[in-house]
Amino acid sequence: MRRLKRMDLVPSAFLAFVLLASCAAVQSGADILAGTGQISASDRQSILKTSKAVSATFSQITEEQEYYIGRSVAALILAQYAAYDNPALNNYINTLGQAVVYSSDRPEIYAGYHFLVLDTDEVNAMSAPGGFIFISKGLIRRCKNEEMLASILAHEVGHVCSKHGLQAIKKSRLVDAFRVIGTEAARRYGSEELAQLTTAFEGALGDVFETLVVRGYDRKYEFEADELAVKFDAAVGYSPNGLTDFLQTMIGDSTTASGKGWFKTHPSAEQRMDKAKSRIAGLSSVPEEAPVRTKRFEQSVAALK
Amino acid sequence: MKRPIPLILTISLLILIVSLLVAETLTVKVQSTSLRGTPKFYAPAVQSLSAGDKVEKISDQGGWIQVRTSGGAVGWVHSSAVYVPKFDLLASGTGLKTQASADEVALAGKGFNKQVEESYRAKHKDVSFAWVDKMLQIKIASAQVEEFMKKGKLGEFGGGQ
Repeated sequence: MRRLKRMDLVPSAFLAFVLLASCAAVQSGADILAGTGQISASDRQSILKTSKAVSATFSQITEEQEYYIGRSVAALILAQYAAYDNPALNNYINTLGQAVVYSSDRPEIYAGYHFLVLDTDEVNAMSAPGGFIFISKGLIRRCKNEEMLASILAHEVGHVCSKHGLQAIKKSRLVDAFRVIGTEAARRYGSEELAQLTTAFEGALGDVFETLVVRGYDRKYEFEADELAVKFDAAVGYSPNGLTDFLQTMIGDSTTASGKGWFKTHPSAEQRMDKAKSRIAGLSSVPEEAPVRTKRFEQSVAALK
Repeated sequence: MKRPIPLILTISLLILIVSLLVAETLTVKVQSTSLRGTPKFYAPAVQSLSAGDKVEKISDQGGWIQVRTSGGAVGWVHSSAVYVPKFDLLASGTGLKTQASADEVALAGKGFNKQVEESYRAKHKDVSFAWVDKMLQIKIASAQVEEFMKKGKLGEFGGGQ
């Protein structure tokens, strides 16, 4: 009996290996069958399409598709909020943002990261997939130094790095999209396919916009973005206390308790601060605030104060 | 219960040997990037690379990969700019990830693309893309970021890790 069990382990291990290979196994299996003439090329294609549609997840959205989703989500955000057309300030925000991006987990994305100030007093910051990051005048006004601003941008860069926006897309949109796309479809679509893809696209944009602007991310994603902000801050040389100092300004502020934007769409500032503090305590060394940075921050945002 | 261990070891070893023997060809997945002289974002560019370009891996170091282009130029690209094929099906989860990367290469230019955006915009004429395109035009040269970091005592010029 014991001997039999041992013998059973070999095929079980093989089965486990094949299961781990999952999609890859379906593809190579279909390729083998097609190669031996046991199934036709079109059968092979439909097996692959079905396998992909069923296993559709946000991680299969390509960099380029993420960029196109992000462009349209950004356009929807900019339909709600006006851009603050101040080239000097936007240049400063973008340079600071790039410094953070260089030290992030995902510095290179399809069309790079781009930052824009929104002309609103609401205290808010948002990041669309594909690296379109927005920060409101109201939020910048609340920052007292470059460390605070860097921490907010690092939090938003963190959302992009971990593709939190894409994770808001309902699986059904991806299943629909993958059904149309297949693996060997043309780059330009016929009218019927295009209509189906456009419907899935509209649905995906709605899912992301709803999460970013209306409902807010899951708490776990907010905590994860804070964790990444601490990590990126420390990596680039900003004091991660910029994040906790900013969160401190939110505690007990009645104008923001029932407010919009960052306050409405996030877990409580106290909870976030506790988690961030313990994360900072775990760092091997904590960079300190530098007066030279605070000075240039004050000069750069003077127009807003 | 000792038997399965040698089996797993054999498979792992086999995979290791195969992965070492196969020359790693990486495909650029971002719209454009630079082949850099040293593994730093603000290092001088050797040449530019575009989505779909293929390069051969030579070595890697802290998130950067030293590569050779088909034209023979040697330099560094950041690992987030390329698809890195991995023959690593045994590690749980990575099998799927590997497949996703293969799909990304196969799906380049397909799915939610320019044509789909055009179709969406035709249906939603009230949604303006003017500022989205302006945002994309804001480009910060890596030398400017280097200067910013130097003056602000950031990264290697200060307290960066």
